[in-house]
Parts: sequence; structure tokens; C-alpha cells
Amino acid sequence: RYCCSPATITVLHAFVFVSCQTAFVVDEVSTIIKESVEGAIGGNAYQHSRVNQWTTNVVEQSLSQLSKLGKPFKYIVTCVIMQKNGAGLQTASSCFWDNTTDGSCTVRWENKSMYCIVSVFGLAI
Amino acid sequence: MLDCVVFLADCLVSVSQCIEVIIGGLDYNQNKVNQWTASIVEHSLTQLVKQGRPFKFIVNCAIMQKSGAGLHTANSCYWDTATDGSCTVRWENRTMYCVVSVFAVALTC
Repeated sequence: RYCCSPATITVLHAFVFVSCQTAFVVDEVSTIIKESVEGAIGGNAYQHSRVNQWTTNVVEQSLSQLSKLGKPFKYIVTCVIMQKNGAGLQTASSCFWDNTTDGSCTVRWENKSMYCIVSVFGLAI
Repeated sequence: MLDCVVFLADCLVSVSQCIEVIIGGLDYNQNKVNQWTASIVEHSLTQLVKQGRPFKFIVNCAIMQKSGAGLHTANSCYWDTATDGSCTVRWENRTMYCVVSVFAVALTC
């Protein structure tokens, strides 16, 4: 009869805990971004004189929350804010990295007067 | 970072050439813009990787129709400022704007 000792179980549990803590988790990052965007521009209408400050706030707030996760990643956060007036906008990105450890996440947000697109790229150290 | 910046400054030229080859002389076309952004990022990335430098790369491209709308972009990076860097190319013609950003992150191995 095989019986797993309590010591072995503890070790396995710690291993799983550590690898979850060091992966790029899209949902976790997505939540951080949505909160940053909502906090910076939620409830506002597009204003040319303020959009510079808004994009700065979105990226800085996002980066601050991401670095607080304490994971071994370098991060790149980009933010685009576009006024809604019927113009077309298309964005694409391509990455040369380590597929097993690195990841990205894009959040699209809009209100009546503007679109906000935020992309986060996480590169394992 | 100096090494990275010099490298990226050289890449500005090849990225600008990629954009010119793919959309130079064309008018904004909603049906094709998807293909254009994909081609621009892929070709730019290929050119960068060919240089054989020890970096991970992220290439981002945005194409916007000219219609008077305001567009603002920003980026912020949490990395090693001594070894990593970025550069941005802004291109336009009569009917559209194209903004391409390249981020280079040094490989530690």
C-alpha cells in the first residue's frame, strides 16, 4: 500500500504555488488594466487638452500595479486614446520572445466619446 | 543602453522602409488595413531578428484614417534602463497615419 508522507505533500503544494506566482496571468493583468483605465478616464468625455495627461496616467498606474505583483517580469505598457468620429483605427503587434514564459494582454475600453486600447507585454527575466 | 539605442536608431531606417514598401502611395482602405498592419509588424520583426542581436523584440503598429479625430498614444516600461530601449516611427500620407513602435529587451543568458 503506497502512502504519501505529509512532507512530500507539502513540497508538491509549494512547487505549484511558486509556478503560479511567476507566470504571466492574463486575467490578473487584464483586471489591473481595466481598473487603471476606469480610474484615469472613466466618466470623462474626450478632451484634447487632457488626453496627454490621461494616457500618461493610464500607463503609469498600470505599471505601478503590475510591478507590485512582484513577479520576475519586465513590462511594456502602451495606451492609445482615440476620439470617436468615425475614423478607422487598426493596431497589430508582433513579438520575438520566449513563448513558454512571456505573454501579452490587450484591453479595449470605450465610452460615448472615445476609445482606449491598452496593451501589456510581459517578458520573463 | 547606448548599444541598444544605436542599434534601434539603425532600425528606424529599415522600419520606415518596411512601411513605405507596404502602404506607400496607397489610400486608407478598411478592407486591407488588417493585412497592412500584420505585414508591417511581421516584416519589421524579420528585419530586426536578422541583425542577430541578443534581444527580445516587440513591434507595435497602429494605422489610423485621417478624418480629423484626435489620437494620442503613450507607453511606459518597467525594465533595465541600462540594456533595454525603444524607438517609434511616425509616418503619414494624404489619407492615413501609421505609428510603429519597437521595444528591445536584452536577453540575460
